[in-house]
Amino acid sequence: MRRYRDEEDVDYCLVGVGSAGGVLLQRLAKAGFKVVGLEAGPFWDTERDWVSDEKGSHKLYWNDLRITGGKDPLSLGENNSGKGVGGGSVHWAAFAPRFHPSDFRVYTQDGVGADWPISYEDLKPYYELLEREIPVAGPAYFPWGDPHGYPYGPHPMGGVGNVLVDGCTKLGIRVCAGGPVAILSGSRGNRPHCIYRGFCIQGCKVGAKASTLITHVPEALEYGAEVRELSMAFRISMKDKRRANGVHYYDENGREHFQRAKAVVVCGYAIETPRLLLNSACAGHDSGLANSSGTVGRYLMAQAGNVVLGRFAELIRMYKAPPAHALTEEFYETDPRRGFARGFAIQTVGPLPIAFAKQMMVAKGAWGWGMRRVLMDYNHWATLGVLGEILPWPENRVEVAEEKDQFGIPVAKVSFSLRENDKKLIEFGKKTVMEVMRAAGAEEVVQESRYAHLVGAARMGSDPGTSVVDKYGRTHDVSNLFVCDGSILPTQGSANPGLTIQSLAARTADYLIAQGDKVFDSEERDMTPPPIRRRLAVRDTFAKGVPRVFK
Amino acid sequence: MKQRKQPGYYPGFSTLSQKAYWDAATRREVEARVNAVPEIRFFTDEELALMSAVCDRIVPQDDRLPEWRIPVVNYIDERLFENRISGYRYEDMPADRDSHRLGLRAIDETARQKHGRAYTELDRQQQEEILKSIHDGEELAAHEIWSRMSIDRYWQLLVGDCVSAYYAHPWAWDEIGYGGPAYPRAYMRLEGGLPEPWEVDEQRYEWVAPPDSISDVYEQTGASETSHHGQAGTH
Amino acid sequence: MLVKSVREHIADGRFQRSLSLVAAASSFVSGLEVGYEHYKGSYSNLAMYTPVLLSGALTGAALAGFVSRRAARTAMRWISAVTLADGVIGFGFHIRGIQRKPGGWRIPVVNIVMGPPIFAPLLFGTAAYLGFMASYLRREEDPEEPAESGLQGWRRELNEGRFQKHLCGVAAVWAVFSGFEAWYSHYKSRFRIWAQWTPIVLAPLQFAACLGAIFSERAARGPLPAISALTAIDGGVGFIYHARGIARRSGGKKHWLYNVLYGPPIFAPLLFAACGALGMLASMLRREGQ
Repeated sequence: MRRYRDEEDVDYCLVGVGSAGGVLLQRLAKAGFKVVGLEAGPFWDTERDWVSDEKGSHKLYWNDLRITGGKDPLSLGENNSGKGVGGGSVHWAAFAPRFHPSDFRVYTQDGVGADWPISYEDLKPYYELLEREIPVAGPAYFPWGDPHGYPYGPHPMGGVGNVLVDGCTKLGIRVCAGGPVAILSGSRGNRPHCIYRGFCIQGCKVGAKASTLITHVPEALEYGAEVRELSMAFRISMKDKRRANGVHYYDENGREHFQRAKAVVVCGYAIETPRLLLNSACAGHDSGLANSSGTVGRYLMAQAGNVVLGRFAELIRMYKAPPAHALTEEFYETDPRRGFARGFAIQTVGPLPIAFAKQMMVAKGAWGWGMRRVLMDYNHWATLGVLGEILPWPENRVEVAEEKDQFGIPVAKVSFSLRENDKKLIEFGKKTVMEVMRAAGAEEVVQESRYAHLVGAARMGSDPGTSVVDKYGRTHDVSNLFVCDGSILPTQGSANPGLTIQSLAARTADYLIAQGDKVFDSEERDMTPPPIRRRLAVRDTFAKGVPRVFK
Repeated sequence: MKQRKQPGYYPGFSTLSQKAYWDAATRREVEARVNAVPEIRFFTDEELALMSAVCDRIVPQDDRLPEWRIPVVNYIDERLFENRISGYRYEDMPADRDSHRLGLRAIDETARQKHGRAYTELDRQQQEEILKSIHDGEELAAHEIWSRMSIDRYWQLLVGDCVSAYYAHPWAWDEIGYGGPAYPRAYMRLEGGLPEPWEVDEQRYEWVAPPDSISDVYEQTGASETSHHGQAGTH
Repeated sequence: MLVKSVREHIADGRFQRSLSLVAAASSFVSGLEVGYEHYKGSYSNLAMYTPVLLSGALTGAALAGFVSRRAARTAMRWISAVTLADGVIGFGFHIRGIQRKPGGWRIPVVNIVMGPPIFAPLLFGTAAYLGFMASYLRREEDPEEPAESGLQGWRRELNEGRFQKHLCGVAAVWAVFSGFEAWYSHYKSRFRIWAQWTPIVLAPLQFAACLGAIFSERAARGPLPAISALTAIDGGVGFIYHARGIARRSGGKKHWLYNVLYGPPIFAPLLFAACGALGMLASMLRREGQ
């Protein structure tokens, strides 16, 4: 791997090499830029560092302290935050549906949330490209949103998928079997076919599940990018009021460094990105960098992720097969008869014993002998998840607390509360999934409230007064400072955000490449859409997989 | 209660019998969990006695032969000693270490106030009744402590830590029929709840909890629905 | 009368059209099977398209061979040979595929069951070999005697219908490939119904009968047709079971495409039945050298 010295003026310094950072790093390096990616966590050697074990995989998550509060506080850590090269893509379950066209105009359509500054059509070519790149396995025809097919064949299902398909079929709900998931159904280069061991969330040691650690970062390094592991950024440095000139960070020993850069891209996800911007407050940016609108940290979103558990007379053994392997988006769109805006998806989940026990602690109030008893029935239970759209609210936000972390950096304080529409949606979603579970034959059905994913908190928009970045991820306030990660999403739909985050990163990359040196030395904002650069896709993108019948 | 080497409906099932087909890193990790039980370094002797008595009720193991019991307290102690947290703290909670210490104090105070004796000296039913009151979110005593710490969240922390220790152990996997580590040896019978060739069929039997126990029932915890949000990542 | 005439045609080797039709059908069926099996593997290697294309080509050529003598002797013969070679190469790929799975040959059972089906390419090649054999036969309308001049050795024997041992050899390897596939895929589903054992029992018997028939004419006239008939019937019944298995899967007919992909392999029992049919055919042939 190429190494840059701190004082060397690289073109781009990326903060965070996760889902978005990994893709952006690869694109910029392949286009010939000098790029350094600072990553707070380690650069994993999957064979050495990862284990096929629930408890032993705890290190994959962002385990540093954060404070969580509000009326309906989020849980963080293993629920939604990764640390280490690959970031969240290391421990996502790899469901990779696209957003629906309606997600991009929620405000126009439903009078709630926000519109995106881009349309589905703007992002569609990137969806198609990333689906081939990482790649996504699924049916030849996916009927919801903008119907399309997948470049890799669908996967076989485990017991939970069969439960979802059975229940939906009985109720006349369309359901999609065997995907879409970013898990290989067919080997690719040195990445083998999935072996169905069910440890997706614990990091795929097999290499079948896509994470930027194995899809994009290796090629980024080949093209001269540097990934600097165990480097915790704490302040973006400003040359003057309008221009950044590098990033201050701590290495693993707590020593302070400063990486000079002609432009800075923050790819820290929905908590760390606003935390870094807020912690970078300086003269002229007193309330935080790029925060003239006051929206940095606001409009944080998590999806409703209620887990519905059903006990069956027959055995299920839900630990086999990837937890993600079947879903329905039949309830995705707004239906005025339901009395709330937007909708939800239903997806398979397959908790391992510890997660299952914690769910039973809440869902059944189990403890003591009751806990032992219900866990002895672990193999009889199947679990399905709601994935519901919670709308963006200004009071759901990330701030910095007075408490400091191990480096002395003020930690993030996250507040989260649900409003009426969210509660109605969750209630309806929960009931629907419970019906599906019963229709599938469950004799007992219980549920646990949960959230899934994080997005927002540095949203994009056309109006600098109400958003942090423009439609290419450039901050309205600082012309060479960009945000590229899930935090720029104005709304979140009921689709898992991973694919959208990576597609947006590829689009931002095309924009930066098309702008060339203008990003470094001009304040002009050229808003011309960049041409899509398919040639920058990772190797093997176009030589593998099945032809797409439905585009 | 009849004591067994391995309770549960999968007699003879052993995940560790498959360890030759696990990758080296996993084998090391799981073997250490069984063979190198961490010493107590965080709890004081007094806290240890109390915490052990609490854990014995949260994940009771009376049905296990003494040498086949899972050292739940040691793993919790290890986590607290190393100060490994889950990446967040609720704003109405002290740090995990303090929460556990405070919680133990609250439990003991409740015992003394209600029964005039230390928690460790109570009988099973009395102990369980105190724990059940926390489960229900009912502050019987120690109001000063519960004013600094959410009783509901403390219950989740306590039970969460106990089950995280117990169900991380291969003996617990054998008990519940979970296949355990699976790399590189994978699964081939994905559907229909079929066992792999090395797994065993379920053989159910009826069992009852000790007659003086009150924990073999399911009742919702005291916390209001909205404030509970699951921790485990699923999708 | 008809039966007698059929027997005579077979004994004379005058059934090129019929065998071409059989080759077309088996090529079509194995083409479908490899088509969806490779779809399950997402055509992750471009070589995975070759058997699909070749089986299509062979189906066409064999149909042409049914109509035209010329096509039977040219296109069908050569495409059959290429397809056979493709099967052998595919076998190499499948071996490599199993080896490359995590754990490789260190965990052979799981990786054979979950990896690329080890003998499927050879079975595919063997089916194509039928077309190759058919290309040397005489046609139904040809006079009884004599055989074509200019053919020597095994070619002449094919032409004259004296290839009982030859065909028994083909049926024997077919039984091995098909039986092995039945064994591991029924093992995968844990022999849940006793009928799943029948191909496992029959395949070695069929193999033994074919092998016996190579060495002894008596075996070729007695046990071979009997066991072959059982095999054919078993394959037919298996087809019904497999179809039922697919229909009973979650989602049933609504997800028929997915359920054909991941349910019991619908065409596999037919290929097993074909092995029985070959044995019966062989029993009616004249032996080499007679």
